[in-house]
Amino acid sequence: MSDAIPTIAEAARLIAAKELSPVELTRACLARVHALDGELHAFLHLTEERALAEARAAERAIMAGGPSGPLHGIPIGLKDIVDTKGIPTTCGSKFLQDNIPDTDAACAGRLAAAGTVLMGKLTTHEFADGGPSFDLPAPPARNPWNTVHFTAGSSSGTGAGVAAGLILGGIGTDTGGSIRGPAALCGIAGIKPTYGLVSRAGVAPAAYSLDHIGPMAWTAEDCALMLQALAGHDPHDPASAARPIPNYAAQLGSGIRGLKIGVIHHFHEVDHKVSDGTQRGIDAALATFRGLGAELREVQLSPLQDWAACGSLISITERSAAYEEWSRTGLGDFSERMRSRLMLGAFVSGVDYVQAVRRRRELRAELQQAMAALDVVLTAAQPSEAAKIDAVPKWDVFDKPGFTMPFNVAGYPAISICAGFGAGGLPVAIQLVGKPFQEPTLFRVADAFEKATPFRSQRPTLVSARVAA
Amino acid sequence: MPSEINDAALDYLLARAGLSLTEAQKAELKAVYAGIAAMAERVRQPRGRMAEPAHAYGFAEEDLL
Repeated sequence: MSDAIPTIAEAARLIAAKELSPVELTRACLARVHALDGELHAFLHLTEERALAEARAAERAIMAGGPSGPLHGIPIGLKDIVDTKGIPTTCGSKFLQDNIPDTDAACAGRLAAAGTVLMGKLTTHEFADGGPSFDLPAPPARNPWNTVHFTAGSSSGTGAGVAAGLILGGIGTDTGGSIRGPAALCGIAGIKPTYGLVSRAGVAPAAYSLDHIGPMAWTAEDCALMLQALAGHDPHDPASAARPIPNYAAQLGSGIRGLKIGVIHHFHEVDHKVSDGTQRGIDAALATFRGLGAELREVQLSPLQDWAACGSLISITERSAAYEEWSRTGLGDFSERMRSRLMLGAFVSGVDYVQAVRRRRELRAELQQAMAALDVVLTAAQPSEAAKIDAVPKWDVFDKPGFTMPFNVAGYPAISICAGFGAGGLPVAIQLVGKPFQEPTLFRVADAFEKATPFRSQRPTLVSARVAA
Repeated sequence: MPSEINDAALDYLLARAGLSLTEAQKAELKAVYAGIAAMAERVRQPRGRMAEPAHAYGFAEEDLL
């Protein structure tokens, strides 16, 4: 096969036409892992033999009867807070270095049933919070666009792995932006689906009522293909939605003429002013959408700080409850960053928590009303290009509210897609938000943007340089 | 909620949470207390006692089977 890294959709078409072998594709990904991951640290645990065995099995099945679907024979990875039967699942923590689950998480099982090839477990901030940390059993993942820089997190390995073509897609989790942040800084696509659409069963909690599971891949179309396999009711997740699952790729290619896009200018221009490069990316994206025939409208919501306060208090409290036992008996065994987050739990009273949850109802109603006459809304995904990995502030949550948390608070689906390149050639991104369970519209808009812009044709230079060497 | 916390109050909250911190960790925590206090103020609105939290729920048909 050529050195070009295919998208999932491209690989699926080639596999279906018997022009690409899953074994060949898996070997190409493994070659990139061996060439690059010593520098990127995207993998915590590589399952090379299993991947090759699964690829051979996929190849036999496809040769005998054709692919079972677009994910058949596609190499993927799972964030290491996703339980995998018989495979270490450490959550990036000292506490779970010897943990080998005896069952698969629901999302792992669904991707396996769709015929994917599991390449391994991917780097995460400890229990999906706190990083980048240099005092964990494994080092933090590095940004393939410049390895001196951060990937964002906590789905850091998935972001780095997809961007570098070590895998074609992967699972991330998102409690306040942990899918959309790494997607933005690594220049890929990542969607936090509607709360309850993808089962959380078997995935380590960060904050129960804010946790979402979702796909990360090179394109929005690939995310749609992965979400098709992931979505569905699961009685083992008490938040799981029992709803019919649409065809997530059905609207792709139908254009966006006449769709109404709301822009929350004050989030990224006033409440938390983004970098010049990010602002240029957003401005150019708005021009692109206008050129594609969308109608742009101004949206005014409560200040970003209100959403951040609400989400942070809920997140801090639920995380402290989830990890209370270890906090009391082994606080020193957490990474310094995770420990600091857990310490904050002492400051949030029960009344504070309930006031935050009451605020949550108001904020969600506000977004619902604002989106009534809109199809999607748009704001920044990250405040700037990726910072250097050793210069990531620990407490910026207090004075620099994130752009992603509002949609965890609301539970609305939100996708981050690449909107160009800013300072140092590092990616910048936009975030698009849909109405609950309207992921098909979100994919339609994101896909139209990706196809109207040149950003999906450029991979990190490190990839071609190292693989060719 | 005051924007500063004294040592006695911090020790009480940590004891209630069951957390054992070093003096350096306590100092760091005290330094960010104002941030949490500001968040706790932000989520308080003049909403009256009848405003429900987001987590209030009703029973669906399948819950009653």
